[in-house]
Amino acid sequence: MVSGGLYTICACGEKILEMEKEVADRNNREGMMGWLNPRRYGWERVSYWLQRLTGVGLLAYFIAHIYETSQIAGGPALWEAFLELTQTTLGHIILIVVIGMCVYHSANGIRLIFVHGGKGLGKPGRPDYPYDAVSLNYRQKSGIWIALILALVAMLYGASVLFGGE
Amino acid sequence: MEHLCSLGANNKKMAMLRESQIMKIHYITGVAAIFVVAVHIMMRIAIMPYGMSLEYENVIANYQNIPYIVLLESILVLVSIHGFNGLRVILLELRQSKKWEDGVTVLTIAAMIALIAYGTRTIIIANGLGFE
Repeated sequence: MVSGGLYTICACGEKILEMEKEVADRNNREGMMGWLNPRRYGWERVSYWLQRLTGVGLLAYFIAHIYETSQIAGGPALWEAFLELTQTTLGHIILIVVIGMCVYHSANGIRLIFVHGGKGLGKPGRPDYPYDAVSLNYRQKSGIWIALILALVAMLYGASVLFGGE
Repeated sequence: MEHLCSLGANNKKMAMLRESQIMKIHYITGVAAIFVVAVHIMMRIAIMPYGMSLEYENVIANYQNIPYIVLLESILVLVSIHGFNGLRVILLELRQSKKWEDGVTVLTIAAMIALIAYGTRTIIIANGLGFE
């Protein structure tokens, strides 16, 4: 397209009013909210941002854990003092959430490795109404649910160990 | 080797590795991390009760065990590479420009090296503590 004052000349030679072009060029960027919006896209979208949120959460925990374990270098007194800070009910709840994030991220990550390798996506087909993507099939949905169930089971086991009184 | 070190080459892009190679490293470190972290967690709960495994003497004893040190260092390196590359991928999905991409890559690599160095320092110091 070539812009020409009030009019824009199309490749086909037709003139389009500039005002119409402005309507067509409206800002469609949603930014972070578009990235986080779980609506419109189904479970695959939920899986997409859960993978990212759990990844960032696990990285934050990992950095905190490296700092936590570095306290051992300060001797027994410092180590015991730091344990008193982390081995609390809130500390255990955070650890249970971390266990859930870790298991979900791992299980869903394995599913994604297969997806990126083209496994379990089904055969390509002609796009017919209602244009459901062949790749978003029951295998993928099952994988997401398995990851969520495994995370829940791991969290329950973690809770039994942390609050089990051992 | 021709695809390596293409810094300032044809595409003028700051890239030591192709993105497809980086993703292979991401997957390999991810799968390997699952195994080493699983062993690390099992060591906390399978050998002795969780609370007892966190006692100072038991933690120091872990740092005296060479195979366990290798395991800890493996976790440190694998999770750092996987984690910071994951963060880099997320940040590159949010915004794209050469300046942003180069900045994110440099910062994540620097953070990864700093974390590995700090964690290794803990392992070395804790290993020495048992000989005092």
